[in-house]
Amino acid sequence: MANSITIENVHAAYGSVRVLEDVTITVNSGETVALLGTNGNGKSTLMKCVMGIVRPVSGRIVAEIDGEKHDLVGRTTEQIVDLGIALVPEGRRLFPKLTVEENLLLGASRRKARAQIKANMDFCFDAFSRLAERRNQLAGSMSGGEQQMLALARALMLSPRILLVDEPSVGLAPLLVSRTIDAIKQLKDHYQLTVLMAEQNFKQAVRIADHGYVIVHGKIAFEGRSAEELNNNDLVRKLYLGM
Amino acid sequence: MDFPFELLINAVVAGLLLGAFYAAVTAGISISFGMLDIVNIGHPAFIILGSYIAYYFNINYHIDPIVTCLILSPIFYFLGTAIYQVYYLSFEKRGQQSLRGLAFFFGVLFVTEVLLLLAFGVDYRYVATSYIGPSIHVGFVDLPLRMLVPCIGSLILFGGLQLFISHTFTGRAVLAVSQDQLALQLMAVDPIRIKRIAFGVSIAVAAMAGAFLIIIQPVEPSVGREYIGRVFAICVLGGMGSMPGTLIAALLLGVIESITATFYGPSWAPAVSFGVLLLTLAFRPSGILGR
Repeated sequence: MANSITIENVHAAYGSVRVLEDVTITVNSGETVALLGTNGNGKSTLMKCVMGIVRPVSGRIVAEIDGEKHDLVGRTTEQIVDLGIALVPEGRRLFPKLTVEENLLLGASRRKARAQIKANMDFCFDAFSRLAERRNQLAGSMSGGEQQMLALARALMLSPRILLVDEPSVGLAPLLVSRTIDAIKQLKDHYQLTVLMAEQNFKQAVRIADHGYVIVHGKIAFEGRSAEELNNNDLVRKLYLGM
Repeated sequence: MDFPFELLINAVVAGLLLGAFYAAVTAGISISFGMLDIVNIGHPAFIILGSYIAYYFNINYHIDPIVTCLILSPIFYFLGTAIYQVYYLSFEKRGQQSLRGLAFFFGVLFVTEVLLLLAFGVDYRYVATSYIGPSIHVGFVDLPLRMLVPCIGSLILFGGLQLFISHTFTGRAVLAVSQDQLALQLMAVDPIRIKRIAFGVSIAVAAMAGAFLIIIQPVEPSVGREYIGRVFAICVLGGMGSMPGTLIAALLLGVIESITATFYGPSWAPAVSFGVLLLTLAFRPSGILGR
């Protein structure tokens, strides 16, 4: 069944500072969409608008979950997550003084996910064997790469239909970045997720993206309908490669 | 001179019985202060309120204080949720909880004390039950039922709370709520609801502690003040937010106080127990089982 997100003409601001201007993005069912842009261009704010953490000044955000449409603007974050939309936030935001297992179990607090705890947990431990080894260790004592895996696994414990990932590569060594991106792809395929990923690391993000948007100063500067279109675009070259 | 071995064993046993009671008094603080970061300095007032309600029903209707407080604790739960809601809307939501919140709970403490004074006077009150007089003797060890019944009650209470914290979704969310509220929202959990529930539970536990208190000793409206320092000390000593740590710390403090009181005199007991707290903080700042 269809799971998609449509963001239409969204404007957002922090006080008098405009952050997003007339942003329109479509994430179709089963797609991985990359939201590309360097720091401070509004990627995270857009993610926060979808999750109800920041309320847009105007515009519509509609999520289709299992074929049913829900208007997201005006709902609380808890309600949006409960619909089946999970966010892996920037900076991971684990519970540092809880164990790996406790972090994962908290992910399963969502009512619809409770029936699948065992299956989800088995899959997470299977996909990320390091987490299985460290299930009784405090989350705060793990390395950055392990923490990113835990953050992804915890989001999956929610049994989401749509997964939002904000800057998964931040603070990770290059090898770990590519592993994290691979993991997102693997999870997406296994759970047939619809994925929206904000990322600075253009090359890594484009590897798994079906299509993507480049956001500059809060506006969509370019829409690439395929990975090639993104790769062969002048704006992208200018922004990322300085050419 | 022979070492008074029997005296020592009796002091340790008496300390364990007392410590289990301290644990029940601290359990609520361990939730509100240890897990929710709410400095509920008024907690002892709710314990005393529980004691007086138990007293009232015992004197007038001959109901056992434990039975009264079992029935009372759901009412105290809702009282706790209401108080948290006031605290949240007035202070926490505006980010003013640290100083004004403290003053608020001080106010709750004094108002409750004064109301009890007006209603019951300054005299010490006590209850009459079948288990207040007699003792069980195991060899040379004395087990006064007056201490044993609250001890067993506390241990059951503690077991129940530990199960709630470690084995329910709500309980785990209580552990997480002071670490990252936004992350909890991203798990589809409303952090304010979790805090409201947890604070309600902490006040419900105070009702049970009130029943145990009036079984152990006669109560007057300001007797709770004796416990304020001790309960926060136990909470910190055990490790913030750890129920097993709180139990161990309470038993330890009970035994230390009892041995000190037996061998050196009761007036030394608080000094020694706070000395232990200072040493713990110096060498293990996170407490016995702190994470």
